[in-house]
Amino acid sequence: MTLVMVVDDDQDLAEMLSIVLNGAGIDVDLVSRGDEALEVFRNNPPDLVLLDVMLPGVDGIEVCRLIRAESMVPIIMLTAKDDAHDVVLGLEAGADDYMVKPFKHPSELIARIKTRLRRTNTDISGLLAISDLSIDVQAHHVLRGNKVISLTRLEFDLLVALAREPGRVFTRDALLSEVWGYRHSTDTRLVNVHVQRLRSKIEHDPENPEIVVTVRGVGYKAGALVNS
Amino acid sequence: MLKQSIRLRHSLAVRVILSTVLLSLTVVWLTGSALNNQLSKGVKQVNLDSAIIEARSTFFNLQYRLAIAQGEKETVIRQLIGDVITSATTIGSTENTRLIAFLKTPSQTSYKLNYETHSNFITQSSVPESLKIRVRKSSDLQWSYSRFSYPGNQSSNIIILGDKVKVPNAGQYEMYLFISLANEDATLALIRSSLLLTGFALLLLIALITWLVVRQVVRPVREAARIATEFTSGDFHQRMDVHSQDEIATLGNAFNEMAESLQKQITRLENLSRVQQRFVSDVSHELRTPLTTLRMASEIIFGARENFDPNISRSAELLVAQLDRFERLLEDLLEVSRFDAEVAVLEGVDFDIVVLANKCIEDLALVAKEHSTSIIYLGPNEQVMLNADIRRVERILRNLLTNAIDHADGKPIELSVVYSEHDVAVGVRDYGIGIEPHLLSRVFDRFWRADPSRARVRGGTGLGLSIALEDARLHNGELEAWGRPLYGAHFVLTLPRAEGSSIENRLITLKPTI
Repeated sequence: MTLVMVVDDDQDLAEMLSIVLNGAGIDVDLVSRGDEALEVFRNNPPDLVLLDVMLPGVDGIEVCRLIRAESMVPIIMLTAKDDAHDVVLGLEAGADDYMVKPFKHPSELIARIKTRLRRTNTDISGLLAISDLSIDVQAHHVLRGNKVISLTRLEFDLLVALAREPGRVFTRDALLSEVWGYRHSTDTRLVNVHVQRLRSKIEHDPENPEIVVTVRGVGYKAGALVNS
Repeated sequence: MLKQSIRLRHSLAVRVILSTVLLSLTVVWLTGSALNNQLSKGVKQVNLDSAIIEARSTFFNLQYRLAIAQGEKETVIRQLIGDVITSATTIGSTENTRLIAFLKTPSQTSYKLNYETHSNFITQSSVPESLKIRVRKSSDLQWSYSRFSYPGNQSSNIIILGDKVKVPNAGQYEMYLFISLANEDATLALIRSSLLLTGFALLLLIALITWLVVRQVVRPVREAARIATEFTSGDFHQRMDVHSQDEIATLGNAFNEMAESLQKQITRLENLSRVQQRFVSDVSHELRTPLTTLRMASEIIFGARENFDPNISRSAELLVAQLDRFERLLEDLLEVSRFDAEVAVLEGVDFDIVVLANKCIEDLALVAKEHSTSIIYLGPNEQVMLNADIRRVERILRNLLTNAIDHADGKPIELSVVYSEHDVAVGVRDYGIGIEPHLLSRVFDRFWRADPSRARVRGGTGLGLSIALEDARLHNGELEAWGRPLYGAHFVLTLPRAEGSSIENRLITLKPTI
């Protein structure tokens, strides 16, 4: 069964979240303090982390950074609406996605969690090559030569989405729909931050990217195929 | 010239130096003239006195010798007169030239002998008639100033002294002694030029001293001005250097105290604003968490409402609806407090206003239908791009449209878009109940209702128009309202198409023709 770790200091919200998640067939591990999160995470590694920003002990951004330092597990932040600062900090700390409180429908949360948990691109088999990288979609890893490059599931999905159609220009909205599963989102910060994170891991020179190339005013595309 | 007058008006130093020099010039001129007069008078008096003494002695000498020579021959008398004249006109090298004229008084016609004689260069006419008359009338020595030109020489001032002389057997004669005043003139010229030179030097010195003094005063003033400018541009750490104990130091200290106090006030206000921001953010978080729990709980109850009896089922619906409303109210309140704290920021993007307007119409079509009205789009079909905060512009349009739906009274609503190269305008016109013109200024007030007895159909927050106005102003745009009872209302939003610029023209006339 899927296990989600919910880190939130509000007992009632945490309980409500577990009711909703349990209803969707998901197990929940509740943590109410930021400084306890990492220990619980190590002892019982979850499939996904649902993380509140404001936490006693250590704040959510820091918890996110600590977890990301040792795991590629999907992380969804819970934030107050329009708190642009928190959103960007959370994404930069390694969160894959964020949910704005209060969310309209519990089903929205479930859908978001499932998107992050699903194995994408299962329809593609074999190897994808882009620049000097080879991507094993099934095994879910990226190689440069013999060196494994460690990516989060979201970063991997982003790279695969681009690499499947090299040269095609993806708008940010298209990527939001393809990778994040959003229908009408206008928050392109998600894409921007994650493209930056992806570049910092796969590009030779992240300042002059050659694999994930910006198309000014439109979006991004995967760079030319060098060797297949 | 203009530059000069600007410099004069703008530089305290130049002004002070100039006025000091002008005043000093007047004083130096007055004292110099007085001194010059006094000195001239003194020199002239001294010269006059010695001239009189010399003339008396000469005239006396001649008279005396003539008296002794009473009865001598004509040649002897003539010789005698010649001797006296020679001795009187013989002078030392440093002395002024002397000339003598010995003339017969014209009334003495009975004597045949004529002893008239005179030095070279002068004639009978060299003596002014007025002096001659005075000499004849008076029993004492007379004098007069005149000018005299020596041949081949420049002219100079002279003094002419004259008296009567009795010549034995030849009647009455007049003797005139001419004494040049060239030396006196030279002395006076020297005095005048010395005075002028001294005066000029004095003026220069005064100007220099004034400049030095003014600089001491002006420098701190300039420094203060410079620091005040830095202050204005936001550098609150600037202070004046205070070294002395004088008035300038007092100015410096007062200035620094003012700066200190200003800096404190600003820091305090900044802190207040930060506290306010923090408070807003905290309230937002604190309220959102229970609201999230509430929403999830209500959704679960709502989802199961079919299993409940009708009252509980309806209650679940109301609960969900009111939570929606509560959330909107919370959002609006937070937005208003952000405007009040001046922390609202624009996130400008390029977008097509035509697409956005049509999206809003589409989104609200259902709501409009519920109120038996519809929204008609009157505007261009081509792309009209502008750079603005799309979320805020959408909110303005939604607020205007919901407001129109609330008041349309079942009649269709028109949304028009007009654009120019520089601006874009959106008008929302309804033909509903309208509004009294004198109440128009209040439509943007928070929680204000045109008619308190009228129930709010849409369950709006009462903050929509007020937020719309703030949103418009944040874009340097304008939102204006027109209304008349039974004729409906017209709201016009005008925005500059480029971020950061201002509106050039009102593209839609606010007052419709009715």
